[in-house]
Amino acid sequence: MRGPVAPASSDVLRGTLDLLVLKTLALEPMHGWGISQRIQQMSRGVLDVNQGSLYPALQRLERNDWIDSEWKTTENNREAKYYRLTAQGRKALGVETANWRRYVTAVDLILETT
Amino acid sequence: MGVFRNMRRTLRAFVQPARVEHELQREVAFHLANETEKNIRLGFSPEEAHRRAKVDFGSVDAAKEAHRDGRGTRLVNDFIVDTRLALRTFRRNPGFAAAAIITLMLGIGANVAIFSAVHDVLLRPLPYASPDRLVMLWEENEDRGWVHASAAPANMLDWGEQVRAFSDVAGYASFATSATLTGTGEPAVYQTLAVTGNFFRLLGVRPAAGRLFDDSETWSGREPSVMITYGLWRARFHGEASLVGKTISLNGRDVRVTGVLPAEFVLPGVTAQMFRPTAWDPATRSRPFFRRAHWILPVARLRDGFTLSQANAELQTVIGRLQREYPATNTKMGGGLTPLHEFLIGDSKRPLLVLFGAVALLLLIACANVGNLLLVHASGRTQETALRLALGARASRLVRQALTESLVLAVLGGLAGCLIGFWVLRLLSVLQPAGLLPSGEVSISWPVLAYVACITVASSLLFGVAPILWSRTRAPGEAMRDGARTGGGVRVKRWADFLLVGEVAIAVVLTLGAGLLVKSFSNLARVKTGVSAEGVLTTKVSLPGVRYDSSYKIQAFWTHLTDAARALPSVASVGAVSVLPLTEPSWTSDFVARGWPAERIGVDVVHRDVLPGYFETLRVPLLKGRYIDEGDRADGEGVVVLNDAAVRQYFPNEEPVGQQVTFNRVPDSTSVWYRIVGVVGSERQGALAEPAKPEIFQPAAQRGSGTMVLVIRATRDPEALVPLLRQSVARLDPGLALADVKTMTEVVAQSSSRERFMTLLLFAFAFVGFVLALVGVYGVMARVARGRVREMGIRIALGAQASDVRWLVVRRGLTLTAAGIAIGLGVATAVAGVLRTLLYGVEPVDPLTFVVVPLILAAAAIAACWLPAARVSRSDPMLALRAE
Repeated sequence: MRGPVAPASSDVLRGTLDLLVLKTLALEPMHGWGISQRIQQMSRGVLDVNQGSLYPALQRLERNDWIDSEWKTTENNREAKYYRLTAQGRKALGVETANWRRYVTAVDLILETT
Repeated sequence: MGVFRNMRRTLRAFVQPARVEHELQREVAFHLANETEKNIRLGFSPEEAHRRAKVDFGSVDAAKEAHRDGRGTRLVNDFIVDTRLALRTFRRNPGFAAAAIITLMLGIGANVAIFSAVHDVLLRPLPYASPDRLVMLWEENEDRGWVHASAAPANMLDWGEQVRAFSDVAGYASFATSATLTGTGEPAVYQTLAVTGNFFRLLGVRPAAGRLFDDSETWSGREPSVMITYGLWRARFHGEASLVGKTISLNGRDVRVTGVLPAEFVLPGVTAQMFRPTAWDPATRSRPFFRRAHWILPVARLRDGFTLSQANAELQTVIGRLQREYPATNTKMGGGLTPLHEFLIGDSKRPLLVLFGAVALLLLIACANVGNLLLVHASGRTQETALRLALGARASRLVRQALTESLVLAVLGGLAGCLIGFWVLRLLSVLQPAGLLPSGEVSISWPVLAYVACITVASSLLFGVAPILWSRTRAPGEAMRDGARTGGGVRVKRWADFLLVGEVAIAVVLTLGAGLLVKSFSNLARVKTGVSAEGVLTTKVSLPGVRYDSSYKIQAFWTHLTDAARALPSVASVGAVSVLPLTEPSWTSDFVARGWPAERIGVDVVHRDVLPGYFETLRVPLLKGRYIDEGDRADGEGVVVLNDAAVRQYFPNEEPVGQQVTFNRVPDSTSVWYRIVGVVGSERQGALAEPAKPEIFQPAAQRGSGTMVLVIRATRDPEALVPLLRQSVARLDPGLALADVKTMTEVVAQSSSRERFMTLLLFAFAFVGFVLALVGVYGVMARVARGRVREMGIRIALGAQASDVRWLVVRRGLTLTAAGIAIGLGVATAVAGVLRTLLYGVEPVDPLTFVVVPLILAAAAIAACWLPAARVSRSDPMLALRAE
């Protein structure tokens, strides 16, 4: 089977996109576009989500049962698909965050060794 | 839970693909709209805002594609698409598709038919309660050459009482008797089998109507009763429930119908339509003959918690005790047990397994052929494949498509095979001699369908290998450059060669097997039966003991009947015998001649009764003395006639005629002595393949036999006599019927019907395999020849002779065929032993067969190679070159 198309730019590493999406949804349920905006805002414009890879990522998370989705009306009266963190997703967020911290610490350690 | 939700999601994507697609569409649209608005707020013009939103999103289609892959329906969708594509391809190439499907249909159809039989006879448990706990008990006797012989009733009863490992022992007679049904319509004769009262209860049979016999009916004292088969109930009594409990008239006696056996009831080897309780007189229990005559087949049920070997150990102890207790009858009388199913299918097992092996080989040949067809088909699509690879299709995707195509072919072939297979099986079950295949209704059962599904998928994988190799051999550029010129990589060529050699080898094995059986059968057909069968009508007549209660009455009837038959038009001579040769086993007796020392005994000599005229009618030659004639009456001197085999074995160097014999092992003052008055030629009594056994004939008048088979020689068509004979019998006694009306020619043919059937079937399978293999050789050579048209064109242009070119192509075909034949001969030599017990007068590795069959195959293969070669050599060099 063919895998999702890899992001062309290095904006967001593939493994971290899932983590960022989970973190974003941990705050409140959100639609796809909102998630991409929120990640951009929260990273103060440093991280730019490749929007084409966002939707396959959402689908992947949904298949993992980490997030759930339903169609709702936005404040502007538009129909949008809102994603919401599930209990499993919340647990996964914890695990993934810990993994990420360990990873970063390890990379830092290597980089600081002179 | 998660798994479940995922399944639901996948299912939704599969069932409502449009809806899922639409949701994604809306989601993307929403995203783009929001992004555009944001850009407008940032000050861009609406067009520019929209453009930027789209650029930021990236390829919408790529995102959608990725999304689709994530739905888990990709494989299924591809499969559906590929299936449609395959069907479209087949429609475009109907010749290719038809050839492949017909080939598979033949292979799978033969498998369906034979596997159904194998399943029904060998695999399916007998329709009894816990059939795996049932065992058959048997006796054996070294001195008499008995193996798996039927038991003496007294021994059976003792085993039942003394072996703790048996919860119960029941038995059924090893032979059926005729019973004439009168009172309802035309009198008719049915086969009736005696069983002990507990027999059906022990098997765990549930009656379709009424009840089973009572245990106490093993012994006499109750009114006569009978159970009938479901088939007879429907055919003769229209399935009336009211029949149960009523009496019917059998052999002139009123017999109460206890119950009807269920439709699925079978007792392999038994064709009786009626069963009656043994109803032995309790007084016989202690009589010596109850232990001397061995005629009952005992079936035991193992008690819970006991194993087969425990039961056997106990049985051996009891057998040993009986040998010591009853030396007169039980000395050297051994015994044993075998699981019931195994015992009953004994004779059918090997022929069925051989047939099964044959159809498996046939399927392999079919697969090889279809594999070759697919190779040709795939090589015709080289450019298409190359184009798709160049456009980015993955090799794995192409392999999947090729496999789907194979599977679709196999499924179509399998469906056609199922239809033809069940049809063939129905045909076979009608044509078959009794007992080899399941008879009557052949139903489509789940195990058979599962088997078909398995071989269908397995064959699609087998022949699907070829195109996979094909798709992997070629780099796209190379294939495109090559253009339409076929050739294929080295691997493909090797695979094609392998297929060819393989199918020729298998065809050799199959054809050799059939050749051996054909030779064996022709040996059997040439066996001298000892009788002259042409123009003789035979029919069995049974006199009910109730009305024919004295030997005087019996003899009077036989005299009247033979006189009446002799008076019929075109009748040349008339006689009768208690058991017709080549039909059922007859009684045997031990005898001694007057003056023989104590240890000299004639053992198990066939013992039949004849009416005067029997030998003359069947033209059994008189070698010495005289035949039995009208003068040998009940009140006259007791006489016997011996056959040639008996004289050779027991009177090798003396004059038998004039000597006296008695049928007591230890003669005493009460022994009755019979004078040998003649010696006749030997008839084959049992099977054609068995040599004639020593035999003693007695005049029926001196024995009072109530059942005789009439033999009538006519100068014209003997079957025309049947209605006249029927009238004669009805005039003498309206309560009698003719049973087993056959010409003697039919009797002889039927005695080898099993061998004929087996030979025909194997011959048919081998023939189909042979033809398929030749088609395969032809197909491969045609492909090879086509691939070398240009080369040949050049050769001819450069001055090669047509014959040289032909030889080039033929040589390759012959090399491969020769390799196949050599391998086939090797394999056949190794496995021919399995046929040994099925062959008569032929060694499994028969030199003549092993030379002639390969020669025929080789000759046919040369022809198959010659045709394409000749076509190539005729090709115009200019045309061939221009075709590029």
